[in-house]
Amino acid sequence: MKADVQQMEATAALEERRDERELRARLRSRVRGRARFYTGFSIMCLFYATAIFADLLAPYDYRAQSRGEPLAPQTSIHFRDAEGRFSARPFIYARRLVDPLERRYEEQAGKAYPLELFARGYTYRLFGMWSTDLHLFGVRGDGDGERGAPRLNLLGTDALGRDRLSRLLIASRFSLLVGPLGTLAASCFGIFLGCVAGYARGLFETLLMRAADVMMSLPVLVLILAARAAFPLELPPLRAASLLILIFLAVGWAEMARLARGLVTALRRREYVLAAESLGLTQTRILFRHILPNALRPLIIQVTLMLPAFLLAETALSFLGVGLQEPEASWGNMLASAADPTLLREHALVLLSPAISIFLFVLGVRLVGDGLKPKGA
Amino acid sequence: MLKLIFGRLLQGLLVLLIVSALTFTLLAQAGGDALTALGSDPLVSEQAINELRHTYGLDRPLHTRYLRWLGEIARGRMGQSFYYHAPVGDLVLSRLVNTLMLAAFALSFAWAVALSLGALAARRANVWADHLCSAIILLAASTPRIVLALVALAFAVRTSLSIGPSSAPTGNGVSSLIMRLILPGLVLGVPLIALFLAQVRDGLGTALGEEFVRVARAKGLTERAVVFKHALRSALNPLITIFGYSLGGLVSGSVIVETVLGWPGLGQLSVVAVRNRDVPLLMGVVLVTATAVFVGNLIADILLRLNDPRLRRDAEVTTAKASSAATTTTAAHAG
Repeated sequence: MKADVQQMEATAALEERRDERELRARLRSRVRGRARFYTGFSIMCLFYATAIFADLLAPYDYRAQSRGEPLAPQTSIHFRDAEGRFSARPFIYARRLVDPLERRYEEQAGKAYPLELFARGYTYRLFGMWSTDLHLFGVRGDGDGERGAPRLNLLGTDALGRDRLSRLLIASRFSLLVGPLGTLAASCFGIFLGCVAGYARGLFETLLMRAADVMMSLPVLVLILAARAAFPLELPPLRAASLLILIFLAVGWAEMARLARGLVTALRRREYVLAAESLGLTQTRILFRHILPNALRPLIIQVTLMLPAFLLAETALSFLGVGLQEPEASWGNMLASAADPTLLREHALVLLSPAISIFLFVLGVRLVGDGLKPKGA
Repeated sequence: MLKLIFGRLLQGLLVLLIVSALTFTLLAQAGGDALTALGSDPLVSEQAINELRHTYGLDRPLHTRYLRWLGEIARGRMGQSFYYHAPVGDLVLSRLVNTLMLAAFALSFAWAVALSLGALAARRANVWADHLCSAIILLAASTPRIVLALVALAFAVRTSLSIGPSSAPTGNGVSSLIMRLILPGLVLGVPLIALFLAQVRDGLGTALGEEFVRVARAKGLTERAVVFKHALRSALNPLITIFGYSLGGLVSGSVIVETVLGWPGLGQLSVVAVRNRDVPLLMGVVLVTATAVFVGNLIADILLRLNDPRLRRDAEVTTAKASSAATTTTAAHAG
């Protein structure tokens, strides 16, 4: 008798401990999911903030060429001058192209040009409204029309002497706009089609799903290339952007429609749908107000999977020279110069900076998707 | 089974017909053909260009041209490339072999990594394997092929490996071929790891918790036999479905990888075709890649049925289930 009670107590204690452990594990995975989501989300926000404030952050006009400085390395920032005197304000020296063939530059330690925060530079419109010429940092006296000041190229210059950092910053605008907008358009269209197919069933569903299957098994980038080939190779940026978004819409809807249909078919047999039906609500209302919100999480996760794919498709097209054209900047066409092996040997890190940006942004998007995923599903 | 294959082939023909017609129309709408660029050459007269157009049949109406193209295809020819001045069929087929080689290497690499790591993590032998898997999945999924290819190029240039660009896979000896295949193959394969590994880990994890696995263990089978013969086999369905879906992405990915790393495959050819408005060549590439992907999907379907006797009977229901499990992860490969 006593032994039995003891054993029961022991089992109860064991179970309690197991429950507690399970609860802890679940809590931990939940916290980890949150952490992932917020990390990813802040990365994405950072990128978009950069894109919005690109003009403020960029020290120079991204199209301004400086013919005397092709493929210059990064400007080195000094705190100590030639005599060894220390100054708290960093400064740079002017530099001269000594050997145009090997592109060797030499610093001229004669005159120091101090850097400053909120320097004056080219004029732009902040948020497209306020005209200003303030930039986060720059060389002092650069904006005064005094042509003597050297340029501060934190990432060096490209073959036309354009400031690489400014181009990288401005490029984030096109790259962060076209891919995501294309994803948004394709998702909305796909979700709409999928929902209707899953709810209405019948011939429409069969045809749509067959079409989606076919669409998904096709080599998308080759199709995008083929579709892109149908238009003039050189397009103004706005036309290029809208064209790419349309192409993404045309090839991207299938995956979304498939998933949405699956979810709607699964959800439409739920009791709350039945309840809504018996209340006499219209089908459109049931579909979009009752079923769709419950299917939202997997759909959003799918969006986070699709977004990098389209961002990369845009990058790839610009890289191949059929997306955004020079002199406009996108991560893709900046990377095109990185495909040159002789240049890559010398300035690998600088040339790959757009690649690093792409990697970080995609990582952010993935983290968001990962964080949204329920553990164990 | 035969019915399935026959039905699929029929469906495939229909799809190819639609895709080719669409591409053809789109390309015709472009305004401009391979001869337009000649117009800016002062040495070539307007009349000469028109004559050339006539000899190539470019002045005919759209549907006549498409039907003629179809007729050529039916006779096993794909027309003449304007850019290379060579039959499209020969060009495309020789490049197809290269791309298939690359894809096979990438796939086997990705599967090898995914299966070994996934099995390790699914057995929950230790927590670290699981964490390692998560990290690898995240990293592999967020490293685009274009980034990877450029890093690989930088690496090859720095270490002056023999597998740099400009090397053609027509070299002598199998070993040198494999040497040159490694870098582009790895680059093409890495994003697939994320796709496969996630599925292997989750699928195997679920399967290992099932009753039949406990039975297998109770029979006294070795752990290896339990995992690879019993659990894996039941987890294989979504894997095969994913394999089928990943083929399209593989071809897409090869466009970038081949262009950057100088592998003369179909992807590179398609870029050349687009840049030079070589319509017959582009049509050939689209046709062959679509066919290849389609055949790959068919093979995946057949494998699915060979692996799982349940599918041979009630085909529709379970395929839908397997593929819906796969859809959530498919978008990951397109980069």
